[in-house]
Amino acid sequence: MLASLFSLLSLAALSRAGVQEQWWNITYVQNVNPDGLFPRRVIGVNNTWPPPPLDVNTTDSLVLHVTNSLDVPTTVHHHGMFFNSTSWMDGAVFVSQCGIPPGDTWEYVVPINNSGQHGTYWAHGHYPGQYTDGLRTPLVLHPASGEAYVYDEEFTVNLGDWYHTEQPVLMKSYINVDNPMGNEPTPDSGLVYFSQNGAYLPPIPGSSPASTTSAVGFNENSTLNFVPGKTYRLRIVNMSAFGAFAFWIDGHNMTIIEVDGTDTQQAPADMLYIAVAQRYSVLVQARNDTSSNWAIHANLDTSMFPTVNPNLQPNITSSITYTPTDNITDSGPVDSYEMTNDTALVPLVVVPQYNATANVQFLVVFQTMDDGTSRAMLDGYVYNSPLVPAIVSVLTLGENATSQEAYGPLAVMLNHLDVVDIVVNNSDTGAHPFHLHGHTFQIVNRAIDYTSSDPTLNPPLIEGQPNPVRRDTVIIPAGAAVTLRVVADNPGAWIFHCHIEWHLEDGLAVHFIEAPLQAQERAATQVAPPPYLFSQCTALGSPDSGNAAGHASVSDLAGLPLGPFPIVFGFQTRGILAITGCILTAVIGMITVVWYALGVRGSEEEIEQEVMKRIEASRNRGLFQRT
Amino acid sequence: MSPSLFSVTIFFVVLRESLEACLIVAVLLGLVEQILHKDPAVLSDHSGTVPYVHTAPLDPESTPTTVSPRVLRKLRLQVIFGAFVGLTIALAIGAVFIALWFTQAKNLWTKSEQLWEGIFELIASLMIFVMGVTMLKIENARTKWRIKLRNAFDGHQRDRGAKTSKWVLFFLPMVTVLREGLEAAIFVGGVAIAEPATSIPIAAIVGLICGIVCGIVVYQFASRTAFKLFLICMTNFILLIGAGLFSRAVWAFQENSFIKFVGASSDDTAGTGPGSYDVRGNVWHLDCCNAYNGSWSLFNAIFGWQNSATLGSVLSYVFYWLAIIVVLVYYKFREGRTKLFGLESANGMRRRQRREAQEASGKTAESASEKDLRGDTAVSESDSPAGS
Repeated sequence: MLASLFSLLSLAALSRAGVQEQWWNITYVQNVNPDGLFPRRVIGVNNTWPPPPLDVNTTDSLVLHVTNSLDVPTTVHHHGMFFNSTSWMDGAVFVSQCGIPPGDTWEYVVPINNSGQHGTYWAHGHYPGQYTDGLRTPLVLHPASGEAYVYDEEFTVNLGDWYHTEQPVLMKSYINVDNPMGNEPTPDSGLVYFSQNGAYLPPIPGSSPASTTSAVGFNENSTLNFVPGKTYRLRIVNMSAFGAFAFWIDGHNMTIIEVDGTDTQQAPADMLYIAVAQRYSVLVQARNDTSSNWAIHANLDTSMFPTVNPNLQPNITSSITYTPTDNITDSGPVDSYEMTNDTALVPLVVVPQYNATANVQFLVVFQTMDDGTSRAMLDGYVYNSPLVPAIVSVLTLGENATSQEAYGPLAVMLNHLDVVDIVVNNSDTGAHPFHLHGHTFQIVNRAIDYTSSDPTLNPPLIEGQPNPVRRDTVIIPAGAAVTLRVVADNPGAWIFHCHIEWHLEDGLAVHFIEAPLQAQERAATQVAPPPYLFSQCTALGSPDSGNAAGHASVSDLAGLPLGPFPIVFGFQTRGILAITGCILTAVIGMITVVWYALGVRGSEEEIEQEVMKRIEASRNRGLFQRT
Repeated sequence: MSPSLFSVTIFFVVLRESLEACLIVAVLLGLVEQILHKDPAVLSDHSGTVPYVHTAPLDPESTPTTVSPRVLRKLRLQVIFGAFVGLTIALAIGAVFIALWFTQAKNLWTKSEQLWEGIFELIASLMIFVMGVTMLKIENARTKWRIKLRNAFDGHQRDRGAKTSKWVLFFLPMVTVLREGLEAAIFVGGVAIAEPATSIPIAAIVGLICGIVCGIVVYQFASRTAFKLFLICMTNFILLIGAGLFSRAVWAFQENSFIKFVGASSDDTAGTGPGSYDVRGNVWHLDCCNAYNGSWSLFNAIFGWQNSATLGSVLSYVFYWLAIIVVLVYYKFREGRTKLFGLESANGMRRRQRREAQEASGKTAESASEKDLRGDTAVSESDSPAGS
């Protein structure tokens, strides 16, 4: 069925030269069990899962016709695509659109033919949690001018963590008063599966995968067939919601040639450490001997999981097959995972360090907030989605669109063609993979410890770097800092966020409002937004114009969701009243004691009489009971 | 001193009980003199109306001077010796009891669990409540003991003749001190379950010594006013502790339910700062100064201090004091020493009538004699035969 669909799609692609069209009906798919451990409902496409991999030549643009057959809104985000001046196509919910209402459709136009981009990307749902539940697929762009490196064959290695419980259920218990330390839900397993030329590789013959996904090989049921002497390109995509993967192949060396869509000079690597949403391409030389098959390792880094999931087997293996009947050589796990030093990678297309004209600083803080839940803050605020998508505000606020205030507390205004340094200091004890929509950034500085005065731990920013690495998702380790240099050449609204899905929901995000007047002008003169950008907001009950709160005003943000806020310690009004009350009653109590003790105390005789009477009474009572 | 080595609560429990024991001994010492006097009021009139002694034992004016000092000293020694033996036995039994309590019964629960801590603090706070509000009645207890002991002494004399009465002066203090001591042991055991076992010995010993010293000082040298002042201070202090304990008990129950609610490892709710406590119903939170920490732990032991106060812990503290106020006001009312909204208790009425009668008779005779007073007693008793 899948095959026939694809032939249909390719026919459609042929019929409209220069445009690859895909029709996605986003649906729930029941009883999906890729890890063979637990069947669950997932979010798939056209009643199948995994969603079809996207494979596009850069001569074409991609048009993705999405129909939402879920019972909640949905969006699709093409991760890493620039969408120059059309940021309403970016798919980030409440930044670039309100969400496709159930039953409605959206045509995502991805202008690959004029974006100048090629390489390894991915597409995923950008409505809360939907990609965790399965709405994710690789997106490979093949340059028309030919690849930078010569190889015989290529495969896409799809990695992802996997939960056995649906994300909205996990979410309820995650941001909850009973989870004050914000322990993220730990995945139940990991997945590795392969795709090539827009199709998934089938399972090893003879294996018995679960029926719903029987066309796709997962984990030990999957394999890559290598021919001795040939060179292979592996495009490795981490589509996890949470887990970073360490990836290596027993018996084979890897050479990095691409990072997040940027071709790089060859860099050998024993192991790749790939955080959520990052991609690498490596060249792998096949062995000359065919005496054995070899294990492919994709190990979830459990050190980032706050709690131990006893059911999790974090070390996932697949294999490289030379001769199907041979045994697999598996050298087993390794002691520790080494970070891939992406700043040492050198892009093939030289772009010297830009000269910065602006600077924004963010501090990443995780904390239990005043409502008892653990949340994340950038710059002291928890990111809440505005009531109006930022791009709608850009397009409808007119002259007022240049006011940063109108977009809520976590918005940063960038002027057209500003070169901005985004400095992110991570005070948290975990690493955070930050992703900027619509751009690649140069990583111009890294600090191991941003609080240190030691220049080896916290080096000063060096200007004039000849060719710093460019990518779209960067790991910021615990206590570390990065400086990302970005050219604001893409008018619109773009979100910058931690790509760990739980942390995005925690509010670890900010949106950049980039050259709003140019965005308005280009929307009027070049590519106009589709009318359903606004009508779908109305359909979902959201305002379709105005500032972040839907008012035609700069400063009136009444109704905008805010908070929670950090706890203020010490004695607040309530505490002062309480302790005053405590002291007051204690003092009154002690005065009562004094009052009781003093005053007329009866003479000795009176007391004696009372005592006598009581003794008598108890004696009588005793007698009474005995009879 | 660290609260794990010195329990303020236990110090006060032992102090109070030893003070009461001292009081009994003092009453006995006073009785000794009266017995030697063969005061007719003591030995005659065992019928219907209860014998009454006008002379307070320590009233220096009434101290007889005609008794042979040698006999007096011998009998006094007998009383003191009896008390001492009683104290020794009580200490031994009490120590064994508490040791068994801690080694055997304590295995039944895990001390670290907030639920148990809350239960024990609750028990201790209620015991202290009872002890605190009755502390001020120690003064009345002096009279109570005098009557009780004299009745007992008279009983002995009546039943067994003069020879045994010599030993009565040994056994009576022994038995009463023993009883007080065991009572103290049970109190200590009850209160101590909320405290580490290591905090008992020093506190108990210091409390005992202080109690005896205070007893001697108060009964031999100090005035009644000074004693009253001392009692007031001690009552207030022990009630402060009780209120703190009650508040801590409620706090522990809430903490227990929060730990259960959070469900994760207990690390999550340890320490201070965000995430260590339930924000719901929180009244104040200081990111420091918790109850396990240096001098704050003493603050916690005495006043029930928490760096993270809850609505429950604050209200329970307030209500404990309100309960004390209500009880004390009621007591004073019942004792007839105050009016409430213009109302008088039965005792109050009796007292007023007696006073009026006294004033009436005082007009005829300037000083109220013993006989007059006894007559008044008979009148008031016939007024309310049901008793209090």
